[in-house]
Amino acid sequence: MANIELKNVTKSFGKKKALNDISLQVHDKEFFVLFGPAGAGKTTILKTIAGIELPEKGLVKFDGEIVNLVEPAQRNVSMVFENYALYPHISAYDNIASPMRSPLYKKDEDYIKERVMKVAALMKIDHLMDRLPARMSNGQRQRVALGRCLVREPKVFLMDEPLAHLDAKLRHFMRAELKEMQANFNTTTIYVTHDYMEALSLGDRIAVINNGQIEQLGTGDEMYYTPVNEFVARLFGEPEINIIDAEFVLDGGNKGVRLLNQIKSFDIPEDVYDALAATGKTQFHIGLRAIDLNFSFERQSEHDIHGQVYSIEPIGNKAVLNVDVNDTILRTVSPPDLNAEMDSDIFVSVNMKNAMFFDAENHELVVRHNQSQYTKAVK
Amino acid sequence: MFSENQSLLSRLIQNLLLIIYSIFALFPLFWMALITFKSDLQMFNTTFFFTPTLDNYKAVLIGTDYIKTFIDNVIVSGGAVLVSVIAGVPAAYALARFNFKYKEDLAFTILSFKFAPEILVILPLFMIYQKLHLYDTYLGLIWVYQLITMPLLIWVVRGYFEDISVEVEQAAELDGYPWYSVFWKILLPLIKPGLVASALLAFIFAWNSFTFSLQLSGFNIQTVTVASLRYIASDTVHYGQMAVAATIAALPEVILALLIQKHLVRGLSFGAVKG
Repeated sequence: MANIELKNVTKSFGKKKALNDISLQVHDKEFFVLFGPAGAGKTTILKTIAGIELPEKGLVKFDGEIVNLVEPAQRNVSMVFENYALYPHISAYDNIASPMRSPLYKKDEDYIKERVMKVAALMKIDHLMDRLPARMSNGQRQRVALGRCLVREPKVFLMDEPLAHLDAKLRHFMRAELKEMQANFNTTTIYVTHDYMEALSLGDRIAVINNGQIEQLGTGDEMYYTPVNEFVARLFGEPEINIIDAEFVLDGGNKGVRLLNQIKSFDIPEDVYDALAATGKTQFHIGLRAIDLNFSFERQSEHDIHGQVYSIEPIGNKAVLNVDVNDTILRTVSPPDLNAEMDSDIFVSVNMKNAMFFDAENHELVVRHNQSQYTKAVK
Repeated sequence: MFSENQSLLSRLIQNLLLIIYSIFALFPLFWMALITFKSDLQMFNTTFFFTPTLDNYKAVLIGTDYIKTFIDNVIVSGGAVLVSVIAGVPAAYALARFNFKYKEDLAFTILSFKFAPEILVILPLFMIYQKLHLYDTYLGLIWVYQLITMPLLIWVVRGYFEDISVEVEQAAELDGYPWYSVFWKILLPLIKPGLVASALLAFIFAWNSFTFSLQLSGFNIQTVTVASLRYIASDTVHYGQMAVAATIAALPEVILALLIQKHLVRGLSFGAVKG
């Protein structure tokens, strides 16, 4: 149970800046997710909080107290490492029991046994307790590592991709389990992932990390509906958001935006129009989620964009339908049993109410319809 | 049926070859052991049939201070390995874990001690030892034996440390263990095969060392390899007594190697953490 705060933390490895002036605050009992591509600096943030890596500049605070000079062991944190970091020479049972046998967190053997078996049952690894890590699959090792982390009651759980090596079914199960556990444990958790679904479903708040910097910090809804820039917009959602050039048209009767060399421009909501006009620019990027593009095989309205079926990728309960419009590929979703000939004609309509507009030069969000409605949801 | 016959045949040939090889390998040892029971008179005119005698053993073990040289050898070689382990394991850890300037050059320099011929440095060492009064002392020999034992130990153990991921140590730290517990409970068990194997090998090399102990000791301290030479007199060579000295000198190595041969093969060929 602790507030964790990083203040202007900077850390380099050689010439590469791993963390560049990171400041963030994790509230007590919060499930905080660090999300971003590989090599962004997520793991380094965790290790800095754990005290394994020391920041060159900046402060690490637990409950307002500066802990920069506190040894990792004394910080009372519990961590799952991405490469499991199990002790290879002792059994799964002893691995999980290890924190409770250390001089610092010593417990008696009866208590240890009860705790270990409870965690093992939760992780569904009770049949592996006698095994050495070398004789387990990656998924099993990961669950042992997670068990070793959860067996204690630390100030904060630090989890570095703890579900990455589990098979899909188990991953979904464990995700729900973690969420449930977090609610019961009342412990602060900082969770690193590169899976946006994990980030959205688990995180009370999410920090998107890129190149050692925080791109955006907020709730999952904020990330999804009002990403601060195109980078964040692309990270959330499957299939990836469509980001294409849009030309802002001001002249009287035809006001709106023009996409993909279409003759007809699209009407846009009043608030969006005002925000775009206020910038004084005419070139923007428009971000359209796949679900905001509807398709039909016959022209429904004069605004429909004419294209050809490029490919269909079935992904279980839906399919990703790629449409080729003048060599630009638009991603949209279709029912999985859609029957369409390759290169056949198709018409795409756009739901402009959900479109996001980005600056064409610095790729930052300019506006979306009803923007204030999404951002005020911060708790 | 046919295949079974064939495998029987191939097994037969395999065993035959192994028997031939073991005779080839063991015969010198057998010959040496045989000679220890021959008197000087029968040394050259008998092969397998002679009147066995224990006179050589008596002459060597009671008539000379061979037992003292044996103990000297144990002290010097054992001491050298002990110093190498105490100083070499931390050195190996540092070379495996920390990044510092000229790290690889330093590691290579340590290794290069091993492949420089001893005869190359023996004269300057002799003169330095005279000046420092290290000549003919246990400390002097243990010190110079580091050239033999230390590089081997550092290089093998370093490889073992490199195989252990840093996160394992970090995890142990977060579990609440102080650094010395991390070393005893986590690192030491993982490097044990390599440590045991390289320490044994270092001991054997130190035990067998001839040049250093010949040049840098001789009056107060004598090692068995040098002592074996005493049985060459100006008028005759006492092959029987020399064989006794050599046989007894070889015993500790053989026994040690047999005891930990399992570690020896595994320790020098595999890394610490598999899979």
